[in-house]
Amino acid sequence: MAYSEKVIDHYENPRNVGKMDADAPNVGTGMVGAPACGDVMRLQIEVDDNGIIKDAKFKTYGCGSAIASSSLATEWMKGKTLDEAEQIKNTTIAEELALPPVKIHCSVLAEDAIKAAVRDYKEKQAK
Amino acid sequence: MANAAVAKALVSDMAKPTSNFFSLLELPLDFTVDLALLSHNYREAAKAVHPDRYASASDQDKRLAVQRSAELNQAYETLKSTTRRALYLLNLQEPMDEEATVQDTEFFMQQIQWREELEDLSDSEDIAALEVFKKRLRQLRGELDIEFAAVWQDGSQRELAERLVRRMQFLDKVLYEVRQLEERLDD
Repeated sequence: MAYSEKVIDHYENPRNVGKMDADAPNVGTGMVGAPACGDVMRLQIEVDDNGIIKDAKFKTYGCGSAIASSSLATEWMKGKTLDEAEQIKNTTIAEELALPPVKIHCSVLAEDAIKAAVRDYKEKQAK
Repeated sequence: MANAAVAKALVSDMAKPTSNFFSLLELPLDFTVDLALLSHNYREAAKAVHPDRYASASDQDKRLAVQRSAELNQAYETLKSTTRRALYLLNLQEPMDEEATVQDTEFFMQQIQWREELEDLSDSEDIAALEVFKKRLRQLRGELDIEFAAVWQDGSQRELAERLVRRMQFLDKVLYEVRQLEERLDD
């Protein structure tokens, strides 16, 4: 299976790889995994006082498509409000990266990671 | 002819739908499996449906024999691994969503830590440390089997049973990568 140029670009030059302090009150962490392939994804967001995502970081152990999906997700999340970030759909990610049908689940994983990170942030704020 | 009678009995048996992989291999339906018995029953059953025994059989019987042979292989491969066996048992109770994303924060934090350790071991090429790492993971993998055995039959603990089998799958993946690194370091 051939990867698209965009997947290869994100795979070779992943944006925003890294780690934030998961205990910080303004950081939301999403940890998700795909049991069928064993891929694991950590996606984190730093949110400012106006509810805007200031920064996003990820670490993904998985195939090229999973890495590219999470890399793209972090790029798209920056500067968005939490509600806007939650609107990012896996289909948009898959389309942008031209993922083949067998790799759609990688984009689903990225969407679920975004939602999990936003939820984690909101839960912390509610406390 | 005795042989023909045996073959006929086998084929009529084969035409019956198999209820599950355990009954196919004449094993009690349980998470704990006697592996020696599993291998023995598989070999005996595989011999009985071997294509050589059906050289002069009708096309339909030949086809049934091939089909049964494939089923036996699948049953054996499924029951041999505790992860696949656990998945199979839960799916028999109630089908699981195979594509579902898993959220198990604590376990995935651990997963990422293991992957990072593995990356360090890959850089340092420290075979002795890799051995210690593997032993630790194997120990944890064994504990998952014990935990699963205690809860899988209890319907009220279904959620926990699913979480355990998911953990098995992710841990298997790390162990697979450990073996790949071992092979690379052996070269």
